[in-house]
Formats: sequence, C-alpha cells, structure tokens
Amino acid sequence: MVGLSTGEKRFIHGGIAQDLRSDGRKRLHFRPFCVETGVIPQANGSARVRLGATDVIVSIKAELGKPSSFQPDKGKVAIFVDCSPTAAPEFEGRGGEELSSELSFALERCFLGGKTGAGAGIDLSSLIIVEGKVCWDLYIDGLVVSSDGNLLDALAAAIKVALSNTGIPKVNVDLGPSPDDQPEVDVSDEEFLQFDTSGVPVVVTLTKVGRHYIVDATLEEESQMSSAVSVSVNRHGHICGLTKRGGAGLDPSVILDMISVAKHVSQNLISVLDSEIAAAEANAKE
Amino acid sequence: MEYVNPLTGFRLDGRRPNEMRQIRGEIGVVAKADGSALFEMGNTKVIAAVYGPREVQNKGQQINNRALVRCEYSMANFSTGDRRRRPKGDRRSTEISLVIRQTMEACILTHLLPHSQIDIFVQVLQADGGTRSACINAATLALADAGIPMRDIVTSCSAGYLCSTPLLDLNYIEDSAGGPDVTVGMLAKMDKVTLLQMDAKLPMDIFENVMQLAIEGCKAVAHYIREVLLEHTKQLECHRGA
Amino acid sequence: MRDLQLSLNQTQRVRLQVALQQLQDLASQAAASSSVTIADTIPVNNEDGILKGHGTSELDGQVVATLCGVVERVNKLVYVRALRARYKPEVGDIIVGRVIEIAFKRWRLEINFSQDAVLMLSSMNLPDGIQRRRTAVDELNMRSIFEENDVICAEVRGFQHDGSLHLQARSQKYGKLERGQLLTVPAYLVKRRKQHFHHLEQYGVDLILGCNGFVWVGEHLKTGEHDMLDDQERRPEISKSNKIDDEEQEWTFTPLEVRHHICRIANAVRLLSALGFILTVEAIIDTTEAGFSSNIEIKDMLGPEFYVQIVEREVQRRISLLRKKG
Repeated sequence: MVGLSTGEKRFIHGGIAQDLRSDGRKRLHFRPFCVETGVIPQANGSARVRLGATDVIVSIKAELGKPSSFQPDKGKVAIFVDCSPTAAPEFEGRGGEELSSELSFALERCFLGGKTGAGAGIDLSSLIIVEGKVCWDLYIDGLVVSSDGNLLDALAAAIKVALSNTGIPKVNVDLGPSPDDQPEVDVSDEEFLQFDTSGVPVVVTLTKVGRHYIVDATLEEESQMSSAVSVSVNRHGHICGLTKRGGAGLDPSVILDMISVAKHVSQNLISVLDSEIAAAEANAKE
Repeated sequence: MEYVNPLTGFRLDGRRPNEMRQIRGEIGVVAKADGSALFEMGNTKVIAAVYGPREVQNKGQQINNRALVRCEYSMANFSTGDRRRRPKGDRRSTEISLVIRQTMEACILTHLLPHSQIDIFVQVLQADGGTRSACINAATLALADAGIPMRDIVTSCSAGYLCSTPLLDLNYIEDSAGGPDVTVGMLAKMDKVTLLQMDAKLPMDIFENVMQLAIEGCKAVAHYIREVLLEHTKQLECHRGA
Repeated sequence: MRDLQLSLNQTQRVRLQVALQQLQDLASQAAASSSVTIADTIPVNNEDGILKGHGTSELDGQVVATLCGVVERVNKLVYVRALRARYKPEVGDIIVGRVIEIAFKRWRLEINFSQDAVLMLSSMNLPDGIQRRRTAVDELNMRSIFEENDVICAEVRGFQHDGSLHLQARSQKYGKLERGQLLTVPAYLVKRRKQHFHHLEQYGVDLILGCNGFVWVGEHLKTGEHDMLDDQERRPEISKSNKIDDEEQEWTFTPLEVRHHICRIANAVRLLSALGFILTVEAIIDTTEAGFSSNIEIKDMLGPEFYVQIVEREVQRRISLLRKKG
C-alpha cells in the first residue's frame, strides 16, 4: 500500500466534499462492472467480476453432506475468501490472512443471516435433500486476484452472479426400508436445477471521508476513511446484514442516513448486475 | 484402466500419445503488477504476477552483486476437482515455489540488477495435471512482460509412460494413474535442460524416450510463447506511435 | 487493454476493430520487422567493432536479445529498446518521486526504478534560501522540508556506486508537489523532451510528465509558491484541521472549476496510457478538448464510447501526419 502525501490527502478530501472525485465520479457513482460467468468450468457455478482494477473470482461447489442437528431442515453454506499474492506483495505468505478473514466473516454475515439461519439471503431450505440426513453443502470460495478498493462489494456481486450461474445436480433418493437407514443418493450427471437467486442481496459499502460518504472507494480513498458501513440489501429493499468498520464513532442519525442512502443505491446496483448477468449469459451461449 | 485405447491409440480425452493439450497465453491480466500473464494448458489455468525489480524490502536478504529472486506458489481452494481448503505454506507449495524460483533464477540475468528484488507470484486457478509446467510457462511470460532481462525463454512440459506408451502432457487422471511423471524445464534456444524431475520408476532406455518427448513438448510451448510475445511487442510498438 | 475494463456493445466493438486494424496498417514496416523477443538473434552484418548495448548479449558469436522490444541501431551501437519495463534513468532527467524514508542527511525516494533514489540534504535548497553549510539542526529539521509520502519533483544528478540514483532539487521549479493527484503510467510512454513542466494556462493546471512514468496533475502554483516558506505558514493549520472540522478546511480546497480541469486532464492521461499511446502535452490537451467538445461527463471519459472515439481520432491524426511527410 502506497502512502499519500498531505497534499494528495487534501485533494481527495476536497474532491469528495465538492462531489467530484479524482476520476470524475460523483460520490454515489460506481465504476463500471465487468462480469463473466462460468470461468471455472469444473465448479457448479462461478463468476469473475472486475470493478476498475479490482478483480475477483468466485466459485461455488456443491457437495453432499449431513445437515447440522440444530437445523435438520436446512442445507449448509460456507464462505471463504482468499487474497492472492498476485494482488499485492503484502499478501505473500500469511500477510493476506487478516483481510481474508475479515472479508469472509463480513460476507457470511451478509448472506447467511443469524446463527439459527433466520433471515438468510440464500434460501438454505432449498438445499435439503432428506431432512435430518442428507443435504447439499455449498462451498463459496472467493479469490482476490487484483485489488483497487471496494473488495467487499465486488465479492458480494461476484457471489450473486455465481449463484445465478450455479446448477445443483438433480438427485434420486432411495430412502431404504427403515427410517434409520442412511438413504442412497444418486447424483445425476446431466440434469441440473438452477439455483433460485431472487432473494440474494447485494452489498453496498459507504465509506465516510470527512463529512460525506462515497460509494465504491478506490484504495486511495479507502486509506482516507474515518469509518465505513457495508449494508446488504435485497431486491425488496430489505436489509440482510450490516457491518461497520473503522475506529471513528458515528452518530446514530448518521448511520441511519447511510443505511437509507445504501438502500437507494442498491436498487440501481441490482438492476445493473441483473443486466450484466443477462449479457454474460448471452455471451456464454454464443 | 485403458489410458491408451489399444485399437485406436487415442487417450482418454481423445488425444494421440504425442499430442499436447491446447495451450493459451494472455499477457497483462493483473493491472497493478509490473508484469503478469495467464497460461492455460488444457484445463489447467495459472496466473503469474511479477513485482520488480524494486528495492529490497528486507535489508538482511539484499545481495550486492545480483538481484534477489523470490517466488510463491498458491493454489485456490476451488482449483482441484474435490474442493479442499489449502493451508498456506504446506510442503507441496513450498517445494513447487522452490522449483519455480530456481528455474527462473537460472535464466534471469540477475547480475544486471544488483541490490534489487524480483517477486514472482503464481496462483493456480484450475489444476488438471501439469501445474508445475503451466506455472513456469506463465512466469516466463510475466517476466518478459515486466521487461526483466533473461538469457532465454524457459518453458516446461511433462510426459509419462502408461500402457507401454510414452504420453505427452499428462492430465490429472493420467497423472494419478500411478505411472511415472517426468517434468522437464528447458532453455529453448540454448537447448539446455534446467529442470528435470521424475517420480515412480522407469527403465533407462524408456526414460530417454519419455524425456525426449517432454523436450519436444517444451520446444512446442517455446514456439508458441515466442509468438505471443512477438505479437504483443509489435502491438505495443504500433500503438505507441512515432 | 490492461488497465481499463470496458463492456463494448456490438457497434463499438466493430468500430474498435476497424480502428485498431488501421493503426496496424499505418505502423511502419520497419518497426514491425525490428521487433524482437527474448533469445532472438539480432542480425548484424558481421562488421567489426559492433557495440552490443542494453538488452543484448552474446551467444555463440551471435548477438541475441535479452528483452522483448525493438532493435535500435545508432552508428556502431546496437541495442534493444524495451517497451514495458521499469524506468531507465539518464542524467538530467526530470522525475517525480515519493519520499519513502528519511535517513542520515538524505531522503530516499521511490521512482519506479529497480532501486530507490537518494536526495541528499545538500542537494536541496534550505527553507530560508541562504546558501550555507548544512548543520546538525538542519539534519534534525529535515522533516520540515519533506516528510514521508511527500511527492517531489527533482532532477537526476548521477549514479551512485551501487547503481542507485542521486537526485538534486536545487532550482525553484523543483520541490514538493501538493494540491493535485499523482498518476502512474508505463515509463516508456513518456518521451524525453526539452520541457517536462507544462503550465496549461487555459485550465490553470500544472502538468508534470516525469520521465519515470509518474505524472503530476495539479493546481497551478506560481514558481516559488510551492516552496518551504509557504508550508511553514500552513503547518499550524494542518494540526488544527486534524480535529476534522471541514468547514475550516474548505477554504483551502482547490476551487471546483480548477478541479474539473484537473480531473479531465487526469482522465485523459489514464485513457492514453491504457491505450498505449505516447504521452505528449499535445496529445493530452487534444484528448481533453475532445472530451469538452463531445460534451461528455468527466467519468465517461473512461467509458467505452469515448475510448473508441479517441482511437479513431488517433488514426486520423496519424494518417494526416503521413500525408504531410509523404
């Protein structure tokens, strides 16, 4: 991470205050999204999202597993993020671990809801095969290939696109004679069910610099933040998760304002992503 | 298991025994790196990024008459068929990092860049056999993209011996068949072998055939890499204008 | 292109293909044939006394390239001009760098070279402007001249014994750069010219094209204004404003009009460097003016439509250049 001089910091602060950032964007403008699907053919679903110089890949694999005893009627989802050293020499060895865990936990909070599974953005009950015995384990793996800020939003968008690209294989279940028997599950190689992504949220991170908040901060702008609030909003305008980062304290009214701004921005983001997904699928078919 | 069909001579994926998988190289995939490249050999996909030459970060490691070359190899969680969480710094990664570093160090003209450091980071996106070779090929492209002087183009390819036939460029299924796996890295123009690794056992005369097949594979990859680099150079020069 | 990710629609894609093809056709045949990659043999006519320059080495009596680039011949010297590579310094180059560390009587700067560069305290004007020997007090006050992460403009004075660079910043036009943004472009796109400092009067913007690929776009300050005396007046304000009171800070912000121009010019530089077109003041001004006349928003200068337009403009420019020559 390259430091910034006082003059450059002032310039960034001034730009954000005057609603004209260094690359000409207004405070609530995203950089253009570039979306590709199916980049990892051996996964059930995958996507690559580029947002400026930020480049992330998400792959989704479904494996058979046993549901937990607390929630026998729901499947399981685990999210892991890895920061590749190709993104920055600082991520070499274990250097990227802190950032990776922070991103993984933030994403789990946004998509998976509480400990009981309540309010999850991903419908976990659609992953159950035989209640209490067999379910799908979804492993969502994210990889940061290149970083220029706003990793959380890019990863969340990539997860949404990858889920829309995910096909869960159809299974034929043979329950066996007695209810205590382990059922035989035959996984089909050819038929796939598209995952239902209507409830999957997007994440909008608002970075507070000075008195104003910006959306989609670059690495330089992020270095100037006093605090950041990441809000996960779904299509219906419901909030699915919230994370606040940064040491500075925020007035509660400011947080409420940031949430409403995030909701407003997210609706546009969802429609942009939907059209990008449609375009990517059209491209894939060609 | 019939790795080579006795009637048709085709392998499991339809290739002939001395046929390589489709290769593809792309330069400039990581914007912030000094040099970067993506290399695919069949389904094996690898990204290499080079940072440097730059000031040595850890003064204790500085070498006074040549550049310090460092390398790290990482595999993504989703890179293999069965998804597995990979701890950083496990033995296989360390060994492959060392192998790649030694191979690239042998061909970089390090004495031209004293007191500096060159970092090579290799990230495997998909592993389907031949990851070592794909990493070396990607690293060569990335180093050339970064403008680091090298004595020659280093390429790598693997070969094996199954069903009494030498096979070029093994994929994962053929690699896990338990037969020998010979990986060769060579300096294409100077015609010198810089990396040679083999596991399992082979009679000497058959080993010579298999190694020769791998060397042919390396030469074919070098030919392709040279074309990619030449095309890229011409394009940059043409865009630059007078 | 490496730096800008664009989603082009069908028409834009076709137009871009056509324009890029035209650029290739216009490129001189000589340039294409003298491109080499690593380990390619460079044809020399077996003349005696051929000097093998940068980017070449000898193998079996033949001259081979060690870099990917274009072969250049100057009299008896044969060398390979690398394209994308770290900066290759020459004495007298004007560069822009960032302070990494303050060491004993010197500042270490990062300048996109294989090593950090050194700016000695003795190569720098003192705040009071008097020419005198540097004392121990001066050494302790180095931070009041330049501190860590400051962006500085300086000139290459020479090479040290270990290959790193010595810089000097004794003239009034060198020194700290504030009130603007620093951009990084590949060093090969900045040509060595007589002038690297450009005061764009029509915009009120200072544009400094560092030979090392660091480009500074900032508010215009009269020469001598960006020197140390001014900073020492501002210092007490900085510590006050650290209490984050933006009302007081606003009057020191760059005025919006100038900021518009700075961002436009910066985007023009980003676009040209992503396209790989050589960066000259004329090209940058031309691109900025094209942005004005197309009436597009500043952020859309990095969008697909303007991208294709600029490639088409460049094609036209090169065609007219060829016509003038031939």
